[in-house]
Amino acid sequence: MLKLFKIEWLKIREYKTFWALFIIFLVMDPLAFYFIASKYMESHGGGQQEVMIKAFLGSPFVFPKVWQFSAWLGGLFFVMIGMLYILLITNEVQYRTHRQNIIDGWSRMDFLKAKLSLLIFFVLTSTAVVFISGLLIGLVYTEGSYDIFEQVYYVGYFAMMATIYLMSAFLIGILVKRTGLSIIIYFALVCIVDNVLWLILTLKNSQFGYFLPLECADSLVPNPFKPTMMEKRTVSDIALISTIAAYALVFGYVIINYFRKSDLKT
Amino acid sequence: MAILTVDNISKTYGHIRALNNVSFSVPAGTVFGILGPNGSGKTTLLGIIMDVLRATQGSYTWNGQKGSNEQRRKIGTLLETPNFYPYLSAESNLKIAAEIKGQGLEDIPKVLQAVNLYQRRKSKFNTYSLGMKQRLAIASSLLGDPDILVFDEPTNGLDPAGIAEIRDLIQELNRNGKTIIMASHILDEVEKVCTHVAIIQKGDLKMVGSVGEVLSGSSIKAKIIEVASHDLAVLENVLRQMKGVLNVNLSENRLLITCEENMSAEQLNKYCFEKGIILSRLNLKTKSLETRFLEITGSQSDR
Repeated sequence: MLKLFKIEWLKIREYKTFWALFIIFLVMDPLAFYFIASKYMESHGGGQQEVMIKAFLGSPFVFPKVWQFSAWLGGLFFVMIGMLYILLITNEVQYRTHRQNIIDGWSRMDFLKAKLSLLIFFVLTSTAVVFISGLLIGLVYTEGSYDIFEQVYYVGYFAMMATIYLMSAFLIGILVKRTGLSIIIYFALVCIVDNVLWLILTLKNSQFGYFLPLECADSLVPNPFKPTMMEKRTVSDIALISTIAAYALVFGYVIINYFRKSDLKT
Repeated sequence: MAILTVDNISKTYGHIRALNNVSFSVPAGTVFGILGPNGSGKTTLLGIIMDVLRATQGSYTWNGQKGSNEQRRKIGTLLETPNFYPYLSAESNLKIAAEIKGQGLEDIPKVLQAVNLYQRRKSKFNTYSLGMKQRLAIASSLLGDPDILVFDEPTNGLDPAGIAEIRDLIQELNRNGKTIIMASHILDEVEKVCTHVAIIQKGDLKMVGSVGEVLSGSSIKAKIIEVASHDLAVLENVLRQMKGVLNVNLSENRLLITCEENMSAEQLNKYCFEKGIILSRLNLKTKSLETRFLEITGSQSDR
């Protein structure tokens, strides 16, 4: 797997779009985090109203809640990585290098495993960013005694969210093949389809909305500014995690089954 | 022993049959040409034996064994178009190919020199001309000094000097003991370079054997006479009515007449003259792969 990743790295290390999108995540996520936190924590003199609002919302930038905020914000920025991942898959079809890789001696599974190694790379690096920025912001703004690692499991939830987003991107890229169309479908799914379906199902007081492919991951890390009393979810975290795992397996199965049997054309 | 054995391979795309029960063997040490018009199934066949397309039916073996990744790593292949990462240099692209093939990087300068691209090794692939791209693809196929090379239209996009260079390279590789399987629609190329030939038309294997066998093994007793006149359409009409003419084909600015073997150029000339047509060209073709190809395939364009 490491050998396959090394070859993937040769493919992307001089690819400008990769660096542009990857750096947006690596740099913009912590910067935005710091900017929001500093504005929120340092805006004194807002009067009674501000104090009340803050008391109502809790403080998303001190331990332990900072982990949830870090994971949630990371999730917003991670949508970019999903797009990048689609691009790296559909580029191969566009350049016909998916054929060439096989001709040169990869098996179809080698090709998929190489892309999986990239997926793991993106999940690990982005999870590290979420962990480090959460840790630093927490250390800066938390006063008094605290347990740093209380609720650190949100970082783990982020990793699961990142994985299922990339598995969806993987599936779309392999099935659709065309770069533009794949990205449109991905954004439609992430921004519209999943949310609209969730809204419809939730408005009907159904819990099924939480079992949608991306919503199951999004729901693990709810918006930190949303007051607890507005949370309608009764589905347990464990159930959501199992749902993510089930989707990841189904997506993986479809990808393998399709790619192994298909003719590699453009 | 056969380097490649193709056994009853068929390929269908929906209702279209791209290949129809094709079987043949490629002997070791040959330059094996797969000859056919555009769309005859040559690339589909090569795609199947390189595992990028799935055969609907049939099988193939390399060196007597079922096709595998390990075997493909030891075969140098150029299939259809040069496929590289456009934003990477020639050198970086070859690095990826070498890593996949499990080869060291020490071959890279050597293969770039073999195709005259060494000076441009740092240039990005998307700055290359069509001919340079084609040469880079040939360089990539030479990585690891494979014993078997598969070339699909290897001289595609090259200028006359480039074509001659690549043909020389292919013959030199063959002299060094390599087996070369080469698809082409250029008769002249196959005739000049190949020792063996398989002729494919509309997915059917029409004939296979050494170039000598294919040339001599004419089953139809026919000869080809090349003619031209001021008005080719009138000439064609007139000749189609002549006794002994089996087929008339338009080829650029001339007609290729397939006729019974006992017909002479003199008879043909006389017939045309009597019909009021003055021939501007009259040429009895010697038995070449071209005449043989026309005999075998019936010479209608398949496009």
